Amino acid sequence: MDPQLTEVSQQFERFKAAFVRKDYNSCSDLLSQLKVLLTKFTSLPPLFENTPNAVQELTIARDIYEHAVVLSVKTEDQDAFERDFFQLKPYYVDARNRLPPSPQENLILGLNLLRLLVQNRIAEFHTELELLSSATLDNPCIKHAVELEQSFMEGAYNRVLSARQTAPDATYVYFMDLLAKTIRDEIAGCSEKAYDYVSIGDARQMLLFSSDQELFTYVTEEHPEWEVKDGFVVFQKAKETAPCKEIPSLQLINQTLSYARELERIV
Amino acid sequence: MAAAMVSSAGGLLAMLNEPQPSLKHHALSHLNNLVDRFWPEISTSVPIIESLYEDEEFDLHQRQLAALLVSKVFYYLGELNDSLSYALGAGPLFDVSEDTDYVHTLLAKAIDEYASLRSKAVESNEMVDIDPRLEAIVERMLEKCITDGKYQQAMGIAIECRRLDKLEEAITKSDNVQGTLSYCINVSHSFVNRREYRHEVLTLLVKVYQKLPSPDYLSICQCMMFLDEPKGVASILEKLLRSESKDDALLALQIAFDLVENEHQAFLLSVRDRLPAPKTRPVEAAQAVETTSTTAPNENPSGDVQMADETPAQTIVHETDPVDVTYAERLTKIKGILSGETSIQLTLQFLYSHNKSDLLILKTIKQSVEMRNSVCHSATIYANAIMHAGTTVDTFLRENLDWLSRATNWAKFSATAGLGVIHRGHLQQGRSLMAPYLPQGGAGGGGSPYSEGGALYALGLIHANHGEGIKQFLRDSLRSTNVEVIQHGACLGLGLSALGTADEEIYDDVKSVLYTDSAVAGEAAGISMGLLLVGTATEKASEMLAYAHETQHEKIIRGLALGIALTVYGREEGADTLIEQMTRDQDPIIRYGGMYALALAYSGTANNKAIRQLLHFAVSDVSDDVRRTAVLALGFVLYSDPEQTPRIVSLLSESYNPHVRYGAALAVGISCAGTGLSEAISLLEPLTSDVVDFVRQGALIAMAMVMVQISEASDSRVGAFRRQLEKIILDKHEDTMSKMGAILASGILDAGGRNVTIRLLSKTKHDKVTAVIGLAVFSQFWYWYPLIYFISLAFSPTAFIGLNYDLKVPKFEFMSHAKPSLFEYPKPTTVPTANTAVKLPSAVLSTSVKAKARAKKEAEQKANAEKTTGAEKSVSESGSGKGKASAEKEGDSMQVDGTAAVEKKAAEPEPAFEILVNPARVVPAQEKYIKLLEDSRYVPVKLAPSGFVLLKDLREHEPEVLSLTDAPTSTASPATGAAAATQGTTASAMAVDDEPQPPQAFEYAS
Repeated sequence: MDPQLTEVSQQFERFKAAFVRKDYNSCSDLLSQLKVLLTKFTSLPPLFENTPNAVQELTIARDIYEHAVVLSVKTEDQDAFERDFFQLKPYYVDARNRLPPSPQENLILGLNLLRLLVQNRIAEFHTELELLSSATLDNPCIKHAVELEQSFMEGAYNRVLSARQTAPDATYVYFMDLLAKTIRDEIAGCSEKAYDYVSIGDARQMLLFSSDQELFTYVTEEHPEWEVKDGFVVFQKAKETAPCKEIPSLQLINQTLSYARELERIV
Repeated sequence: MAAAMVSSAGGLLAMLNEPQPSLKHHALSHLNNLVDRFWPEISTSVPIIESLYEDEEFDLHQRQLAALLVSKVFYYLGELNDSLSYALGAGPLFDVSEDTDYVHTLLAKAIDEYASLRSKAVESNEMVDIDPRLEAIVERMLEKCITDGKYQQAMGIAIECRRLDKLEEAITKSDNVQGTLSYCINVSHSFVNRREYRHEVLTLLVKVYQKLPSPDYLSICQCMMFLDEPKGVASILEKLLRSESKDDALLALQIAFDLVENEHQAFLLSVRDRLPAPKTRPVEAAQAVETTSTTAPNENPSGDVQMADETPAQTIVHETDPVDVTYAERLTKIKGILSGETSIQLTLQFLYSHNKSDLLILKTIKQSVEMRNSVCHSATIYANAIMHAGTTVDTFLRENLDWLSRATNWAKFSATAGLGVIHRGHLQQGRSLMAPYLPQGGAGGGGSPYSEGGALYALGLIHANHGEGIKQFLRDSLRSTNVEVIQHGACLGLGLSALGTADEEIYDDVKSVLYTDSAVAGEAAGISMGLLLVGTATEKASEMLAYAHETQHEKIIRGLALGIALTVYGREEGADTLIEQMTRDQDPIIRYGGMYALALAYSGTANNKAIRQLLHFAVSDVSDDVRRTAVLALGFVLYSDPEQTPRIVSLLSESYNPHVRYGAALAVGISCAGTGLSEAISLLEPLTSDVVDFVRQGALIAMAMVMVQISEASDSRVGAFRRQLEKIILDKHEDTMSKMGAILASGILDAGGRNVTIRLLSKTKHDKVTAVIGLAVFSQFWYWYPLIYFISLAFSPTAFIGLNYDLKVPKFEFMSHAKPSLFEYPKPTTVPTANTAVKLPSAVLSTSVKAKARAKKEAEQKANAEKTTGAEKSVSESGSGKGKASAEKEGDSMQVDGTAAVEKKAAEPEPAFEILVNPARVVPAQEKYIKLLEDSRYVPVKLAPSGFVLLKDLREHEPEVLSLTDAPTSTASPATGAAAATQGTTASAMAVDDEPQPPQAFEYAS
């Protein structure tokens, strides 16, 4: 067996061990070492060279990145998630006909969808969705994300919140929590537009807080422009949009006249 | 599937955000390979990559990689400036030898950038900060071109970027140095727009040339002439002449001829003066003649020079050192050539011996124009002069003395001046020819001032650009008179003869005439000052301008304006201040001069800035004169690139303003003169039937200029044009203006006995100063008809004249590999019988043709019977015109058949080539067909299809057969000439043998 491959797999074993131990710090260290090692394999994307060990290398690389994605969820690091997912993606998309499909694939794809939902990147969400086959769409992980999105769009926020219980995998919980916050932001944005002021009780109910205290912290942290007084939350109306710029009529008239003069003069 | 590709660069882009530098590097290098496909994706991440490039912590290689990547993305985004600046950041990673669009585009961009920076640095004379990295890239590119053997590219880039050091390197390293050098000369003439820089390039080229083991002296001397370095040329010539080898001497003579062709009088004179004076007696004699001829008008110089040339053998006896003798002999020859005398004399002989002018055309014109119409009358005289320019044939005038005597006043002036055109170049006998008309010092011989003034002008025309011998006489005449007509003639004559010499004394004389503030004399003085100072761009221009503002006479202002324009001839940017000053003037006449200044300063450069300015004035000035001139001036700017002109002025030729149309016609005429360019003819054709008379006039003249020497066989429209001219001249109801145009056009079309063309560029693609100036002043005939004669300065003989070592014309055959009919002389017009000549030139009408014409006429009349009588009349006229035309045509063909039958069977196919005998007429279009016969006795020193070519004799000991023996050689015994001179008035006595007859003294019945 290729020494490099051996080295990678040994490292990977150590990484997995640390992962099971939930020693996420050493996991991160090991992971970055692994990534550097992986750059030496020419069979990996974007080169896809046909080396003798191509399949093993691809498989192990894919495995590493899948773990990396899950790790980033565990460490609640969204940027790392995005990075790792993008690096993983070529293994799913471009290496599909070289490798047996990964059991983790749908789980990871679902996670990614959820992440996009959380970050409110709906366009990208749908782009991702378009890339999936109809068979995958039936997969519980994917289906979960799709249903969430639909409820989200309908405005059936309670359904979204209740879906937390039906999450297909433990890793999803992290995103479901984040989702609740996304929903809250959405509601806050809508109410701001819809009302001039709302009573504290209504506001608490609308924003799905269990206590007034939570509401107050939310207001001070996220929307400092809101005012809480006399038992009401007063939204600051968005400032009137500036009127349209005036048309530079004089300048236009002058220009047109000079064109006319030039035209007369030509030839 | 071996070539599985990633479908997105997302993975790699994500990797850029990894904290590990090695991962970033990995991602960058892969992205760099994939950028061609995934640049849209990458473009969104450009800020990240940019920050990588700017991150000081990275190692250099990685940052350069990032820069390269960003550069490529910007390239795909079309942001070439950003792309270039990042490519510079990429340092050595930007590989100039890579064969991709990216690299090609960026290299081009880099070179452009560099070139513009460099030229800005030079032009504004300040240090512009040039990115050393940019310079490095361009230098790498140059190195690569040189190592790859692509010298032409390297030279192009080097010239463009003003890197003369690299240019030199490219030339010296190339494998064919001679070839590259001549390529470089071409390039510098056609693409280097700034005059000063062109000079630098040429200086360098001369330097390189001189380092070569076997320098190409012909090219060096051409360069030096351009640089105005007479010293260098003189030393080269001297070296060649001193050489033992006869070939070297031949080469020197050839160089001299080539220099003369460019008509740079001041330069030629200074070269000549720098050559050492020969010691042998004949030369002394010749020189003595030269000098004395100016002071002692009664001594005839004609024979002596010639004889001296012919008889060196006799004088050699006195010498001891044969080397010195040959050297001296050669010096004499070369001085003769440089002074222009040899070539003028040979040209004169050629034009005389090959004169094929058709007197019948003139006769027809003469008979058809009304006697009392003085405009047409003098137009006929002009046409005659132009037709016989330089041929010394004045038969027509001689035969029609009575008719000629109708010319009075200024017409008499121009009639007399016309003799100057006819005898152009008759340097030796010019004085004696004109003697009867010249002012008789103080005696008040009763001659009309008009003919006296005309005679002085004629002398100028005879000696145009070679006025060594006549200057003094003209000055004396100018000083001794205060009649403004004579002053007018003398000023013009002086200007012509001392063209471009910037002679201070003459200038002062002319200036004093100017300050008399007489309109007629002042106008000529203005032009004359310009002629004197051609191309000098002196301070005197501002003096002239000041006077132009002072004086009240429009004529003087106009003369001065043109004069000022002449002084900036060929100065390009150097003239910009003056041009600016003139074109912003309040006075339209000065602005008008400004247009000429633009035309002449940028003549033949096709400079975009000048074209833009002229077009601007052509559409925006308030004065018609200025607009007309602005359009006309385009012709001068564009003559080096005649194909362009019709395209540029085509819109203007459809202008509502007749002045603009006129200008467009002449612009085409000037720039396409003698080319027979099809587009030019198509543009002019509709203008010849314009509604406005003077537009027709301009179009006809322009058409004639374009068609000069084009045979009917190569463009059928030439024949049609000839018939049109004839129709206009014969038509009683035609306007005088267009009639005059038609008469002049027939003159130009058959100019110089059909052996000359109008040429503004010499064979080496230099501007011919005299020709350009000639046409510029000629275009002034709008205001002053006598200036028409200036067109003769633009005529250059289309001849191949081979010369042997003794500057004689040996018999020598060569081949023109084309059908003879393509380039033959136009057929002479048919001989009419005396009684029908006035109406119908063709007398051999068969009855059937007549009947047909009549029937046609009747039918047309009938058809139009219902129409109004006026309409009917015109239709019947046109019908008859048509009938006439067709009748003529058939008459023509009959005549042709007849002659053909006499010569040969008409059916016999035309040979595909013809053998020409030295000296031969070789029209410009024919030049590419000229071939030398293989077993010829003579071999030319340089390969040239026309002009003066020195021949190397391969069989020196055989006796030579000389041609041109029937020519007007000046072998006339000096006694005859002297006698003629002393007898003075009885000029007829000069007629000797087959020498061209000087004209009789015409008696004016005024």
